[in-house]
Amino acid sequence: MAPSMIDPQIFDQLKSKLDEDTKVQKSLSEIIDQLETQIAYAQGLLSRIHGTPRAEYPALLQQVEVPIRKEIEHVGELSKLASNHPYYRYNYRWSHKVQDAISTVLLTAWIGGMATATSPGELGRLLTLEQVGDIFQVPVNLKDRDAFHITTEEYLLAVTNLTDELSRLAVNAVTLGDRELAVRISAFVKDIHAGFQLLNLKNDILRKRVDSVKYHVKKVEDVVYDLTLRNLIPVKEQSA
Amino acid sequence: MSGLKRDHQGNEKQKPHEGARKTVPVVRNEYTPMFEQFRNELDHHHERREKIVKASRDITALSKKIIFALQRVRKIQQDLPNDIKKDMEARLDQISKLLASIARETQGINRYRYSNNLSCMEELVEALTFAHYLRTQSLVSYDELSAEIESLAQRGATPEDDAVVKAQPDANMPEITPSESSQATAGTVEDPVVSITVQDYIYGVFDLTGEMMRFATTSTALTRSLATADGDDASARPRTILQDMQDLRSFVEMLPQSKGRSWTQKLQVLRQSVRKVELIGYGMVVRGGERAKGWVPDAEVDADPDE
Repeated sequence: MAPSMIDPQIFDQLKSKLDEDTKVQKSLSEIIDQLETQIAYAQGLLSRIHGTPRAEYPALLQQVEVPIRKEIEHVGELSKLASNHPYYRYNYRWSHKVQDAISTVLLTAWIGGMATATSPGELGRLLTLEQVGDIFQVPVNLKDRDAFHITTEEYLLAVTNLTDELSRLAVNAVTLGDRELAVRISAFVKDIHAGFQLLNLKNDILRKRVDSVKYHVKKVEDVVYDLTLRNLIPVKEQSA
Repeated sequence: MSGLKRDHQGNEKQKPHEGARKTVPVVRNEYTPMFEQFRNELDHHHERREKIVKASRDITALSKKIIFALQRVRKIQQDLPNDIKKDMEARLDQISKLLASIARETQGINRYRYSNNLSCMEELVEALTFAHYLRTQSLVSYDELSAEIESLAQRGATPEDDAVVKAQPDANMPEITPSESSQATAGTVEDPVVSITVQDYIYGVFDLTGEMMRFATTSTALTRSLATADGDDASARPRTILQDMQDLRSFVEMLPQSKGRSWTQKLQVLRQSVRKVELIGYGMVVRGGERAKGWVPDAEVDADPDE
């Protein structure tokens, strides 16, 4: 009988390629799991803003920055490992988690945290994609080489998480008596919504999530409407 | 500000999109420049993707046509029949133009970025592995096939043979290619190529078994014997397409298994194909196939080999 159809070398070569792939997947899983733990912890802490008066934010921020430092560490490990392979080959494994990690950082910065030497922490600050990259110490929006980075899409998706969270905060701030915060959130969310309107979106996940931003706007507008109706808007904000 | 996208009938949502934005003055705020930059970024991405999707669809269709042509082959032989060879060459020429037209979009980081939009590569692998099998009764290796496809893309980028371009309906793509490639060759820069991934190769091989099954069915029905390259001469047991399919099945099953959905599905289909060919082989033995009428199987031979 003639030799087999398949040269044994073909098998060996494929097997070693697939084995390598399995190994990478495993190491990625480990890092991503650790990242996930820190994100969940940070998100949990951050959800306390809904019951915390603004005056007590600094104490909360100090706590939140602990898991965020760990997030940064794990993203660093991820970056190191992932940069050994074509970026988009495994990107689907972590993209969602990286978005969540960015979201925690964006929210922390918005309520006054993540201060750096060049940009002090203040309420209402939206970190840019570049600033997010600086915080995680990874490149952003890479085009000229194939390595780990934070993509434009990941950042934009994280921004939709931020507007969602802030639309909840607007309600709770009013409950805590902080009507000015609700007004500021309203202005911010509207600006962001106007920004998203500039994008030409296709029918993909980004489109879907950006579509939901208008509901965040509506939620916040409802709050402002209620306040306006009852003349509860702080005067100095009105003049702007 | 939230009612821009659709009207009550749900139509007219795309045209005003662009138009309205240009005429209605955009209220600028501190984030406007940032979003405008993102818009450019995303537009580029969408353009690239659309270009790839279009080419991919055409490459898939052409690959399928090659496969149809190959299914008209009746036996495994070094030289494919002339008309089929010609047909295949013509389509490969078109494919090479298309590949060259998207080569720039699939370089470096973008190769895997658009993997999902490049499903044509799997189809192309299927067609080329099938052609290789029909010629040599063997499986082409990943490296050989990569080289073959890369040289296809390079061939498409050389401006000399423009003759085939007109066969392609989407004239907008080749229109850019010649100028780009002549620049590239002038500057002695290697023309970029489209590479296949290991996944393209493996999934293409999965699909190859379906084609082998079809080929085994028709060729057996018409020639009254299982296809083999060993000819009539030789050994008592020539290696037939049935053994090849069984080999392929164990080959794939011995590889590290992926838990992905398409892997499981394709493996399932592969198993079915192999079983179908096994039944054909069984039918040939039991019902005699090419044997003379009145032939009776000698039951003793298999039952008691030692005596």
